[in-house]
Amino acid sequence: MAGLELLSDQGYRVDGRKSGELRKIQARMGVFAQADGSAYMEQGNTKALAVVYGPHEIRGSRAKTLHDRAVVNCQYSMATFSTGERKRRPHGDRTSTEMTMHLKQTFEAAILTQLYPRCQIDIYVQILQADGGNYCTCVNAATLAVIDAGIPMRDYVCASSAGFIEDTPLADLSYVEEASGGPQLALALLPKSDQIALLEMNSRLHEDHLDRVIDAASKACKDVYAVLDQVVRDHLQEVTALIGDRGSA
Amino acid sequence: MLKTERILHVKTQRGRTLRAVREHYLREDVSCGSPQCPACARDGKLLSEDLTHYVVPDCQVLQDYQEVLEFNELRGIIIMQTACQAVQHQRGRRQYLKLRNMLRDARHDCVFFPNEFQHYAYLPREMGESMEDWQTRCIYNSCVWYYQHCNARIPVIMVTEREDVIRRYGTETQGVYVLSFKDYLETFWPDLKGIQELYESVRQALCERETDSRESNGKEYQEHLPLEVLEAGIKSGRYKQGVLSVNKHRSQLEAFVRLQGLAGKDTDLQSDVLIHGTKARNRAIHGDIVAVEILPKCDWKGRTGALCENEADERAGDAQNDVMMTGRVVGVIQRNWRDYVATFPSKEEIQTRGKNAQKVLVTPWDYRIPKIRISTQQAEALKDYRVVVRLDSWESTSLYPNGHFVRTLGCIGDLEAEIATILVENSISMSPFSEAQLAEMPINSPENPWRVDTEECGRRDLRKTHLIFSIDPEGCEDVDDALSIRALKSGHLELGVHIADVTHFVKPNSYTDIEAKARATTYYLADRRYDMLPPILSADLCSLLGGVDRYAVSVMWELDSATYEIRRAWYGRTIIRSSYKLSYEVAQQLLDGDLEPLSTEPELKSLSQDSTHLDRLLWAIRKLTEVAQAVRSRRDIHGALELEGVEIRVQLGEEHNIVDLVPKQPLQVHETIAECMILANHWVAKKIWESYPQQALLRLHPPPRQEFFKELKESAQAKGFSIDTRTNKTLADSLDKANDPSDPLVNRLLRAMATQAMSNAQYFSTGSYTEDEFYHYGLALDKYTHFTSPIRRYADIMVHRLLLAAVNNGAKEHLVGNKDLEELCRHINNRNRAAQHCQKQSTELFQCMFFKDEDPEIDQRCICDAIIYSIRTNGVLLFIPRYGIKGPAYLKNNEGLVLSFADDSCKWTIGSLQRLPGQITVITEGGKGTTFCLFDHVTVRIQIQTSRFHTDSIRLEIVSNKPHVTQEQPSVSSAYHSRNDLVREVTRTAIEAQLAKEGEAAENKVGKRHQEYQQTRGNSLYSLLQEIHELALLDVSGQ
Repeated sequence: MAGLELLSDQGYRVDGRKSGELRKIQARMGVFAQADGSAYMEQGNTKALAVVYGPHEIRGSRAKTLHDRAVVNCQYSMATFSTGERKRRPHGDRTSTEMTMHLKQTFEAAILTQLYPRCQIDIYVQILQADGGNYCTCVNAATLAVIDAGIPMRDYVCASSAGFIEDTPLADLSYVEEASGGPQLALALLPKSDQIALLEMNSRLHEDHLDRVIDAASKACKDVYAVLDQVVRDHLQEVTALIGDRGSA
Repeated sequence: MLKTERILHVKTQRGRTLRAVREHYLREDVSCGSPQCPACARDGKLLSEDLTHYVVPDCQVLQDYQEVLEFNELRGIIIMQTACQAVQHQRGRRQYLKLRNMLRDARHDCVFFPNEFQHYAYLPREMGESMEDWQTRCIYNSCVWYYQHCNARIPVIMVTEREDVIRRYGTETQGVYVLSFKDYLETFWPDLKGIQELYESVRQALCERETDSRESNGKEYQEHLPLEVLEAGIKSGRYKQGVLSVNKHRSQLEAFVRLQGLAGKDTDLQSDVLIHGTKARNRAIHGDIVAVEILPKCDWKGRTGALCENEADERAGDAQNDVMMTGRVVGVIQRNWRDYVATFPSKEEIQTRGKNAQKVLVTPWDYRIPKIRISTQQAEALKDYRVVVRLDSWESTSLYPNGHFVRTLGCIGDLEAEIATILVENSISMSPFSEAQLAEMPINSPENPWRVDTEECGRRDLRKTHLIFSIDPEGCEDVDDALSIRALKSGHLELGVHIADVTHFVKPNSYTDIEAKARATTYYLADRRYDMLPPILSADLCSLLGGVDRYAVSVMWELDSATYEIRRAWYGRTIIRSSYKLSYEVAQQLLDGDLEPLSTEPELKSLSQDSTHLDRLLWAIRKLTEVAQAVRSRRDIHGALELEGVEIRVQLGEEHNIVDLVPKQPLQVHETIAECMILANHWVAKKIWESYPQQALLRLHPPPRQEFFKELKESAQAKGFSIDTRTNKTLADSLDKANDPSDPLVNRLLRAMATQAMSNAQYFSTGSYTEDEFYHYGLALDKYTHFTSPIRRYADIMVHRLLLAAVNNGAKEHLVGNKDLEELCRHINNRNRAAQHCQKQSTELFQCMFFKDEDPEIDQRCICDAIIYSIRTNGVLLFIPRYGIKGPAYLKNNEGLVLSFADDSCKWTIGSLQRLPGQITVITEGGKGTTFCLFDHVTVRIQIQTSRFHTDSIRLEIVSNKPHVTQEQPSVSSAYHSRNDLVREVTRTAIEAQLAKEGEAAENKVGKRHQEYQQTRGNSLYSLLQEIHELALLDVSGQ
């Protein structure tokens, strides 16, 4: 079999998208009652569940306590059934640990942690199905969960990946595109202020092209933002409607 | 934002079946590519307006009959994505790439329709439905959609080879027809007999293969391993990957695999792998990329050092016991089949094989290709023709590959047919320029003359300020460069090189541009040429003729008037008017102070009265020469090489009969012009690289591998010279020193051997290499490109576009990215190689025709002087300076007799040969011995060996061990050398200067070979290098 053509001459990607188009995004907030905040997110076939507890007192060793702001504690895991072949270890392996670190950095930059000194905020994210752009989906899901928990943030954190194939930047890579081994970049953005919360890149990409790829990624982040914002507004409307019903009853 | 729908696809991945889920987005905004459609955006390639129907091949038709569909005459083809993917997955990369090129080709009226992304055209595969059924259903549904999408204005015809499909869908929808491919061709294109014949031929080959695979009795070869196994094996180091090349002279026995990829890392695997015999070669054909398994050491074999029977062996291998790594082919990674020219066996041979008259074994023209089995009824009719054959398959049960007949080229021995053969063998296809291309051309007729537009912004007008002139071969039509030099007020000198502004006329992606890109270069054959650009451009509007206004792209340098250091450079578009169009000979005469041409040349007549103009011209020529020598000497310090090649021009009489073969004469002016061109190329290379470090088109010449110099060193040793090959500087110096005063030919031969050891120069895109790899070994320049001949090289056109974009004087949006440029470079390199082969082969053809009519016993021309340049176990390799021919001569023939010399005669007697380093001795029975040393002169007789299946070849026979005495032979070079000594004294540069300038001359535009057309050609050292490489004595690649 000949190698896959990731971008056809007509400008179509393998799954029929054009270079700047995102996969279909679906999201719901408040999926669990027991947690303080929760959200479920689908980006194409990548599905993630995020749960937030806190802010609450520091649990475990007190040594971690910070006196001027809250500690953000993250955990990233992948369900054993999330990949084509069953995974042995849902979390704690190298990639998961790295992903955990990245999530932590991202949300420390976004949450107004100084409002909760000596507190802890837990963010748990699990990938239910992996199909490319895991980090990005996690960030987006966690954003919704944090909002659901009512924790103040500077802005939404929106994340999207971008790749570079045949001189064209591609937004929101799928698994097939990631597996091709080309350069890929993950960007977490605070869309209103255009501030970058996290930027990570794999494999080699020439400096000359970097700007174009970042532009493509931030454009994608803003598209994600529009969707997330709509989800939050819908959710609020739903919730207020419920409260209103109760109030009137 | 998107209308999406998600569909599941199940795929299997290596070995285990894995359920993989892929997203699949359907959309409505898929552009259909039909001009009849009012809704879709009209971007990309469209079908033409005037079609009566559209035709859609199904998967099977596209896979099997793609080459039929490739005919430009078939129009209105819609290739569905479903079919395209079937080709990609089932037929492999090569056919898929061909398909992609066909779709990209603007000349071919076909479009790609991504039907699987179209919301309404796509149908998901149902449970339990076979792949073929689904594909057919999907394609049919897409056809229906397409028909309705175009408002039912144009009928759509789906062609298939499956009867049941025709029955099932044939009458389902009005306006959408389902036909078999055969019916379709017969109904709609009854006039295109060629297509129908090809279709028949392909079909027969397919049937053949089917029956063959059914009766798979007794395997001739081992099965190839599957691709996954090969890939894994190559990764683990068990197998080696490389390109197979067959030894031209022992095609049955010897083939070599030049290793690729990993070989670079471990140096012990540098050498080639020998594949001994056809069994071990296991159905691989010359040019294929194969995987080989290395055999255990006890099975290793040596290559043969002796001259072989029908042809020369040109290999440096010393002895039989000198074994090399031997392997066998376990699988073919990529086939590299092209069209082959073949000849049917003569009548008697056909009859003896009565049983299977349908199948015929044809013999390819190229020795390296095995015989091909084709089935045809026309064997009888075609037996005297050269025909084109394509390979289809090679089953393990079959001794020979299966192929099919494509078309005829002409009768054996006919000049046109033989030239066509050479073109096909080099994969060159030349059709006349099409209407569409010619329609793009500007008009220049006596009623409506073309004029320059002086108002065009950004052009500097040099018509009044500069004295510009061109120096070219006599009668040349396409003048692509002109020169100017003048003194500035500041006291500096201004040197200008003005190149024809081809990009002004050839816009990116116009039809002319696409055609020029496909041709990549102008092809020069011994008696004709195939232009890259239409004649209106190449011979008229782009050509910088004397006395007319022309557009140019100029490079101008400000030079220090004393040291000739370059102070500043300016690049840009200009308008020029060349004042004089000189020929090399005239320019040389003027330079030597001989004013005779003033009265003989019509163009210069006016000057004989006007002394101020004459003085200006003379001053300019002289100054140019000085500047060129200064620049040259600066390059010499860094080790620029002087290389040697003998070029022969064919003098054609009327009606194409060959009058004589004449070696070319070098002049000092040639070198001056060449040096200016090298300077311009170098500076342009620097400029475009600075502006576009990732996507500049440059030219590199890698340093040669040291082991290739072995033969050169040994030969030089025989004459007592030592050659230091560590760097290009030391090589150049030691070559200069290796000069035998009694025989100037020795130096020329040594230089030729050095050239031979070099690698070929090539174009590349800077984004794919690191900066230190850009170095040009032959010219000793850190960056180099081709800029000065845009009329006949496509690379120069690309460089022009880059340069103009870099100086803000041209469109930037059409510049190609690194990846596309790299692909383009590969294409141009490949075409250049084809052009060289083709030129060399056509020259050989003419050489043979020259000697063919002569009776070697009588005619004086067939007896001439030759020099021994290499010694083999049963003969010697000779070089004939008079005709520039290289070839073997035997001292021992098939019957084991040796050539003995007594007095002035020689005859075959019983005896033996004794070979020592640098010499070979013939010992006859009587004990008398005759010794031949390297660089001895002998007298040979030239004969022609005719061949039915291949080209005729030249045979040399030694008739005397004394030099052949003629009056003309030595005069050329000695006269030449004395002039050189003078030159050397004149230039004050301390560096060893130019000795034999013939190499240089070839680098100039001395296309004297093409007397009839008076073309310019090959104005760089690289083209020379490559040319000589082709004429190579030592065949390093093992062909």
